[in-house]
Amino acid sequence: MTTEVEYGRYPVARLAVPEWMLKVERLGRVYGPFDDAVIASTGPEVGSSKSALNGAVVAAWDVSFEVAAGEALGLVGESGSGKTTVLRCLAGDVAPSRGEARLRTAAGDVSMFELDPSARRRLRIDTLAVVYQDPAEGLKLNISAGGNIAEPLTAAGWRNFGNIRNRASELLTRTEVPINRMDDLVRGFSGGMKQRVQIAKALANSPSVVLFDEPTTGLDASVAAGVLDLIRSLLEEHRIAAIVVSHDFAVIEMLTSRCLVMQHGRVVENALTDQLLEDPHHPYTQRLVAAARS
Amino acid sequence: MLLDDLINPTQSDELLDEFAKREIRRAMLAAVAIPGYQVPFGSREMPVARGWGSGGLQITLAVVHDDDVVKVIDQGDDDGVNAVNLRRLVTTSTGADQTSVAAEASVIQSRHRIPEDGLDEESILVLQVPVPEPLRGVERDMRELARMHAEADYSRMWVSLYEDKVRNGVITQTTGYPCLVNERYVVATTPIPRWDIPRLHESPFLTLFGAGREKRIYAIPPRTKVEPLTFDDVPFEVEDADGASCAMCKSSDAFLVSLPNSDVWMCSDTDWCRRTREANA
Amino acid sequence: MGYVSARGGLDAIRAAERLVRRLRLTSESSWLEEDQILEKLRLLVDRVMGEAGLWAPRLAAKALRQSEGDATEAVHLLRAYRSTLPRFAYSEPADADDVSVERRIVPAFQRVPGSQLLGRSVDYTARFLERQSDDLAREEAEKLRSEASGTPDDERSEAHADGDTPQRSPQRLLEMLREMDLVVDRRRADDPEPFDITRTPARPPAARSALLSSMTRADTGALVNQWYRNILGPDGYLHEVTLGEVRHGAIDVEVRHPVTGLPVCVSSVRVTEVEAIEDLEGVDEDRTKFDVGYGLCFGHNERKAIAMANLDIACHRDAGRTQLEQSLLLTTDALDSAGFLEHLKLPHYVTFRSMIERKFAMRKARNRDAS
Repeated sequence: MTTEVEYGRYPVARLAVPEWMLKVERLGRVYGPFDDAVIASTGPEVGSSKSALNGAVVAAWDVSFEVAAGEALGLVGESGSGKTTVLRCLAGDVAPSRGEARLRTAAGDVSMFELDPSARRRLRIDTLAVVYQDPAEGLKLNISAGGNIAEPLTAAGWRNFGNIRNRASELLTRTEVPINRMDDLVRGFSGGMKQRVQIAKALANSPSVVLFDEPTTGLDASVAAGVLDLIRSLLEEHRIAAIVVSHDFAVIEMLTSRCLVMQHGRVVENALTDQLLEDPHHPYTQRLVAAARS
Repeated sequence: MLLDDLINPTQSDELLDEFAKREIRRAMLAAVAIPGYQVPFGSREMPVARGWGSGGLQITLAVVHDDDVVKVIDQGDDDGVNAVNLRRLVTTSTGADQTSVAAEASVIQSRHRIPEDGLDEESILVLQVPVPEPLRGVERDMRELARMHAEADYSRMWVSLYEDKVRNGVITQTTGYPCLVNERYVVATTPIPRWDIPRLHESPFLTLFGAGREKRIYAIPPRTKVEPLTFDDVPFEVEDADGASCAMCKSSDAFLVSLPNSDVWMCSDTDWCRRTREANA
Repeated sequence: MGYVSARGGLDAIRAAERLVRRLRLTSESSWLEEDQILEKLRLLVDRVMGEAGLWAPRLAAKALRQSEGDATEAVHLLRAYRSTLPRFAYSEPADADDVSVERRIVPAFQRVPGSQLLGRSVDYTARFLERQSDDLAREEAEKLRSEASGTPDDERSEAHADGDTPQRSPQRLLEMLREMDLVVDRRRADDPEPFDITRTPARPPAARSALLSSMTRADTGALVNQWYRNILGPDGYLHEVTLGEVRHGAIDVEVRHPVTGLPVCVSSVRVTEVEAIEDLEGVDEDRTKFDVGYGLCFGHNERKAIAMANLDIACHRDAGRTQLEQSLLLTTDALDSAGFLEHLKLPHYVTFRSMIERKFAMRKARNRDAS
C-alpha cells in the first residue's frame, strides 16, 4: 500500500511507509575499542565524537531509517558528523561495528551486514550502486566511458558486444554525455562529465538502491546544478530508493523528501525536508539552516 | 620404499627425489579434479633454469614410467635446442623412450605449441607455462587476484576485451589466449597460438600445465569445455596466413611461420611437416 | 631451400658443453682447490650458501668453481642438486642466543653489556686497492704467520671497542629494552610452525615466518635494492631503523636421532643476525615504544641481514596497505628472476608470428573502418 503525498515545491516524493527498500537499524561504527561508557562519552551533548576515555572515535551510532522505492532520503551534516561513514557502511566499503541493514531484493530480504564479502560485492553489481564524490573512486580513469559501463554489465553476465555498446550509449545519452566521447578515456573528462559517467555506470543494471556521496561537491555551481537536475529527473524516472549524503542544504532540498541531520556521529533530527527547512527543531539544525539561507 | 633406496636411488641420474614426485602427482590430481584451478605446489629447482621448462619438466618426471614414450618440442620443433636438452634429461633420468611422432608418444612436453595431429585418449600433453595468471594484465595484487578467481569475478577481463575491440577494431590478444575452462576458471593457455586453442576444447587428451617459477599446476582434463573469452558477436579468430602454404610440405591447414619480410612459409610442427612430405612423396 | 631455423639440436648442444668444459678445465693457471675457494673467497661462498638455502661449504666451493664465479649459477647448481635428495629430518629449533659471536656491534649504544666486538671486518678500513706484487704479498703473509703463532687471539685483543672483555654470548639489547618496557610485544601464537617455503609457495597474505624465510634465501642484491627502493624509490617509504644488534657467529644444528629420539648435533653453521629497532609513529601504534625487525641469514653477510631486518619491520607496519609483502615474497629470489630474464633468449618465433598477424589484423580493421 502506497500513500502518495506531495511535499513542498518538488512533487517527487512518494511516501511509502510500509514498503521500505532499505531498512537500517541502530547502525554504528566505532574506530578503536569501545563499551557503553565509551559510547556515552561521545555525541552532540559532549560536543565530540572522540571519546576522552580512550581516544576511540564513535563515527556513527544508533542510526536508524528506512527508504522506500522512489524515495530519496538525505543525510546532512558537517564534515565529521558521520554521514559518509553511514554511507560507506551501506556501500560495503567500511565494516559496521553494530547494527543491521536489510535490503529488499527480488529473491527476498537480505541482511546486508551478515552477507559474506563475496555476496556483498554481488549486491553492488545490480542491486545497490554508489556514486562517489571523487569520480576516481567510482570509475577507472584509464578506461573509456563505455568501458566503465561495460564493467557492471559484463559482471552481470552481458556477453554481446553490440548490446553492451547499445546499453552504454543509451545510458550516456540519458546522462547527457556527448556520445562521441563514449570511446575516450575518462581521465580526459571534465569534473561534471566524469560525474555523469559515474551516474550512468551506477544505473547500468537498474539498481533498486543508489547511494550518492556528495555527488556535486567540488563541481562549479553551474555544472553542479546540471548534475543535480539530472539526478532529480533520474530519481523520478526510475523507482530508485536513494540516499543522498551532503553537507549542502541546497542539494538536500532539491533531491530529497526526508532527511536525517547528523552531528558528532548521532542523528539529531529526522524530518521531512521541507519541514526541516521551514521549521528546524534542533539547535544544530537551526544553525545549519541559517547558515545555508544566509 | 627403504631408506637405503632413497639415499642411493637405483637410477643414478635422478633429478627429483621420490617425495617430490609424489607431491607433484598429488597437485596434479587436485588440478584434474578442479579443471582450470591453479594448484600451488612446492616447485623444486631443476637442472634447467626457471622459465626454461622447469615446471613442465617436473610434471613429466612425475608422470613418466620406464614404458612411456616421450616427445619434447619447443615452438613445434623436436630439434630446438631447449627441446633437445629437456628430452635428454627426461630420457636419461627415467629410462623412457623418445619419439618425434606425436601419435607414438604417451607424454608430450611442449613449449608454445600443440602438435598438429596424433594426440588421443592415451596422450598426456604437458605444457610449459611462463605466466600462469591470466588476469595479471588487469590486476597485479595477488590477494585481489585470488579473490577474483574465487568469485569467478572476471568482469575486468571482459572490460579489457571490450576496450581492445573499441580501440583496435579487433581483439589483439596474440598467444596464450585466455579461456574459460569448464565454465568456471579462466586460464592462461601458456603462450600457444590461437591456432591451437580450439583443439583444447573437448579434447580426448589430458593437458597438464606446469609453471615451475610461479609454482602452479593446472589441468584441462579430457572432454572438458574450453571457451576462448570473446563476445557472442565477435568471433574468436585464429592466426590468418592468408591462404599461404608450407614451402616444404605444401600444407595450408597447419600453423605456419614465415621468414622475415618474405612470402616463404614453413610448418612450425617440424615432425608433421616431415611426415606430410613423406606421404606426398 | 633457404630456411634454416635457429636450432642446433643435440650436436650443437654437445659442442657447446665441450667448449665450456675444455676451456674451464684446461686454462693455463693451476687447478683451483676447494680450500682456496673456501678460504680466499669465503664471503662469496657464504653468499652462495645463503641464497641457495643450503649450508654445504664444500659443495658451494665446487659449485663456484664449476660456474666460473657466477654466483647465481652456483646457487642454481646447489639447489638443483638439493632437489635430488630426500629430506629425512627437520632440525630442532635453535636458540639464537646460543650463537657464539665472532663479531657483534650495537650501534644504538656506545657501551653495552657484553661489549662491542668488531671482529673481522673491513668496515673501518680505508678502501685502498692493494697493488703490491704477489712476491711482496707472500713475504707479508710469511711474516704474519710467524707473528700469529704464540700470540693471543689478536681478533679478541685488538678488536673490541671498549675496555670490557667481550663475551661470546652477550645479552642482547632487545632483552634490555624489554626490561625497560620500551618494546611492543609482537610475539604471536598463530604462526607456531615455521612456514616451509621450499614445500609451499609463499603468497600474500603470508605468515611472518614465510616472509623471513623468503628473505633469508633471497638474492642479496635484490634485497638491498628492495630496501633502498623503499628509502628513495618512487613508491615506497621506509624508516631507517636503528640497529640494535649486528652479530656474526656459529651455532650448532641438531636433529632428533631416529632411534633414540635424542637431539644430536649434525652440523655447526655460521649466521649473521640483525635486530633493527623501529621508532613507532603511526596513529594506531604505541608511540611510547619501539618495535623490532629481525634478520638472519647463512654465513657472514651483514648487508643482507640488515636489509632483511629493516624490511621485516617495514612489512609488518605496512600491514598490506602496499604490495611490499608481494614484492619481498615474489621478486627477490635469485633463480626466479635470473631464469625468467634469461628465458628471453629462447626461441619465440611462434609467439612473434602471432603478434605480427595481429598487427596486420589491426591495420585491416582500421582500413575497413576508414573506407
